[in-house]
Amino acid sequence: MSTVTAPRPHAVDHVDVPDNYLTHSRGFLSWILTLDHKRIGVMYMGAVLVSFFVGGTFALLLRTELLTPGRTIVSADTYNQFFTLHGAIMVFLVIIPSIPAALGNFVLPIMLGAKDVAFPRLNLFSFWLWLAGAGFTLYSLAAGGFDTGWTFYTPYSTTTTTGGVIPVLTGVFILGFSSIFTGLNFIVTVHKLRPPGMTWFRMPLFLWALYSTAIIQVLATPVLAITLCLLIVERLLNIGIFNPSMGGDPVLYQHFFWFYSHPAVYIMIVPAMGIISELIAVHAHRQIFGYRFIAFSSIAIAMFSFLVWGHHMFTSGQSGLMNTIFSLISFSVAIPSAVKTFNWTMTLYKGTISLTAPMMYALAFLFLFTIGGLTGIHLATLNTDVHLHDTYFVVAHFHYVMMGSALIAMIGGLHHWWPKMTGKMYDEKLAIAGCIIIFIGFNLTFFTQFMLGSQGMPRRYYDYQPEFQVYHVISTIGSYIMGIGFLTTAVCFVQSLRSGAPAPANPWGGRSLEWQCTSPPPHDNFKTTPRVGNPYDFSMLQWNPAEKGYDVDPAREAAAFAAEMQGEHARGHV
Amino acid sequence: MLSIASMLIAQAAAPTATPADFWLPSGASNHVAGVDTMFHWINYICYFFFVLVVGMMVVFVWKYRAKEGSKIRLDGLTHHQGLELSWTIIPLLICIGIFFFGFRGFVDLTTPPKNSFDVNVTAFKWGWTFKYPNGAQSDNLVVPAGRPVRLVMRSNDVLHSCYIPAFRVKRDLVPGRFSTLWFQSDVPTGLDESKGYHLFCTEYCGTGHSNMNRKVLVLEQPEFDGWLTKQAAWLDEIPDEELYFKAGPKLYARCQQCHSIDGTAGLGPSWKGIWERVSNPTGSSAFTDGKSYADLIGPGKEYATPEDYIRDSIYNPGKHLVAPYGNVMPTFKGQLNDRGVEAVIGMMKHLDEFDAKGAWTKSVPVATK
Repeated sequence: MSTVTAPRPHAVDHVDVPDNYLTHSRGFLSWILTLDHKRIGVMYMGAVLVSFFVGGTFALLLRTELLTPGRTIVSADTYNQFFTLHGAIMVFLVIIPSIPAALGNFVLPIMLGAKDVAFPRLNLFSFWLWLAGAGFTLYSLAAGGFDTGWTFYTPYSTTTTTGGVIPVLTGVFILGFSSIFTGLNFIVTVHKLRPPGMTWFRMPLFLWALYSTAIIQVLATPVLAITLCLLIVERLLNIGIFNPSMGGDPVLYQHFFWFYSHPAVYIMIVPAMGIISELIAVHAHRQIFGYRFIAFSSIAIAMFSFLVWGHHMFTSGQSGLMNTIFSLISFSVAIPSAVKTFNWTMTLYKGTISLTAPMMYALAFLFLFTIGGLTGIHLATLNTDVHLHDTYFVVAHFHYVMMGSALIAMIGGLHHWWPKMTGKMYDEKLAIAGCIIIFIGFNLTFFTQFMLGSQGMPRRYYDYQPEFQVYHVISTIGSYIMGIGFLTTAVCFVQSLRSGAPAPANPWGGRSLEWQCTSPPPHDNFKTTPRVGNPYDFSMLQWNPAEKGYDVDPAREAAAFAAEMQGEHARGHV
Repeated sequence: MLSIASMLIAQAAAPTATPADFWLPSGASNHVAGVDTMFHWINYICYFFFVLVVGMMVVFVWKYRAKEGSKIRLDGLTHHQGLELSWTIIPLLICIGIFFFGFRGFVDLTTPPKNSFDVNVTAFKWGWTFKYPNGAQSDNLVVPAGRPVRLVMRSNDVLHSCYIPAFRVKRDLVPGRFSTLWFQSDVPTGLDESKGYHLFCTEYCGTGHSNMNRKVLVLEQPEFDGWLTKQAAWLDEIPDEELYFKAGPKLYARCQQCHSIDGTAGLGPSWKGIWERVSNPTGSSAFTDGKSYADLIGPGKEYATPEDYIRDSIYNPGKHLVAPYGNVMPTFKGQLNDRGVEAVIGMMKHLDEFDAKGAWTKSVPVATK
């Protein structure tokens, strides 16, 4: 059986267990009816990657259309549908579920040493809801598509003649509940299923991030549900809520929408930050710098995220006083993000840095997130935002944060936990090549868009002034390079599935609990409740010449654990 | 004499547009200095922190990369309260500073002076109409130089947004509300459209969103006054018999995004054959409610004459919808007066004299010269 790991010096005692979660039961029904968080996570991951492929294809079509002013390959109406679909798919079907629902589902219970999440049935239901939501989104295409932009701004969205608006609103409504249930599940799981010895401040930082995210999901997403309901009611029954010709107020819709959708940005980026904390600590083999500051900054971001939605509306007609208050509070989000960035950088200081594929992704994240975060200052500042709002500058900024940061972290995390999920290693060189190609393509694509925007090119434009063409051409070339990068990564993963070397339990020398069970983990994760230590204590690692990497020295691990048991904080007051 | 002297002084000190740089386009309004200075200062701060973070990252990765067989380093700091507090507090202070200057700039940006010259702006899918106090209308925004101009803006249908990059101003137009925006430009462009500043719609509004752009033309006050007087009377100055081919094509420019002349499919019914349809109404169903032209047009019907029907279709476009088209046309009430409607109807009656783009193809008959 190919998934059984070969005996290795550092492998823990579960290595002989022939049974793992992938082989535990067989057949289609055993997957679609499974209550196993790992299988649900893997199914989510598959679904998210398929959606990413679809959304990415739309992106490449958009970029191709923008190669020349005027018509290049499609009509204006088709282009409007394409950018709407690209946005809606990437936000609701890809980025929001990608880290919490896909990676989080797989990793969170194992990191806690638990057998599963607190409510396994709710977990499965949440995945089914995702499928139903995706189904409605797909159906909306058959029903005539939709050209509203992913923001569904009224009164355009209630008056446009495209037929797919109500199906897609229904789809997003359902996806929202999928997200709420995942969040609810994670909150309860983190509160109730931590093993003895794992205090809040001994949780790996990825758990802090998932916990903060779950709070936002549970508190913010219902507002989206209500808003979409009202929109459906207005469109279907002509009840005036947002449309001024029926006595409504379109700016009210913007408030409702961004009250969810701004926190949603943090649903995307906070778990990504959690992944980066893991990747940098594990692959630099070094105690994370300033654990408490990083943990609290996740919570701070979650809280501030509810108070800044108005910065999307500086030119919308909300009052000057509101603009001022929202601008001031928006800057407050910059602080915890800056703290995290500096702490990650300091974690590299005096580390023992292995330049593995996950580490390369973490470094790419640090580079891209710094740009994405800093350009947020231009947009939080009132007078510069007036010039930059709704231009390509905004497009570039949020792609640096949503894609360059959130998605890059997700893919980095996928490389990090891939051996655990599949039991296979991948070709490190090919994975790093993919990362570098994506990185180059990404910067070509989106850095030029900063210039486009600050020079005055509005977003969501099918046609444009000829002086902008040179930037568009560079951006399009970059997007093709990025496409090649993702293809390389896909080839790397497929190759790994077909012929990858069996993965050891702990290929990177990680210290959180998921590295203590076999790769792939058995159905119940752990035979006995695992020993909990400092998740960032790497002092017991040793160089393994056969692996050309680091693994845990069991003797030193036992000694360190015994020392901790005696009430001594081994190192670092974690 | 005094006015000539002041004109000379104005010319001697004629301000020029700021040159475009790597980041920002050429600027030509009172807001440019404030916004651009702010933008560049934020950029300097960004460069500093970017180089700091990425520089440290590169140095650390290079210096502390794991070499084969190297032992795990254990001498790194695990936390440092002073350091961490410093990179919490210093960015906070910088942010408060940036906020403050941005706020001051925003107050300038949104507080028009009392003596400003008002222009009424109406946005619709997919175009703009600019109306002046003396009743003049224009498709381009023509403003006097050296004088604060306030745009009082409204939308006829969905959200739009008025953006003039060279002036660094932007404001959404929300249906059911008025919104305002102000600027003062001291850099005249003349009436040549190719020298004008771009005016874009930056709030997504459907099919024609990216073509919903116009030019801002800045004229010296005397030239502006002349233009304004002429513009107010342009429809009245055209003799009745020349109205349809002189005014028609200009007015058709606002219709052509949806209504073709040559039968090409569009968002609204093509004008091709329209006069035959309404002047000889048939009984076959033509409207979304199943009615025919004959049901609506004729003595004793809703519209006594075909002209009445056309006029009402322009003013109340949603009343009777030609199948299979949706209710997407904005009203032109208040934008097109009776003489304008007359010109449009005249054009429909002589459609064979116009090419597909609405240009008149015949020469002026001798009799009317």
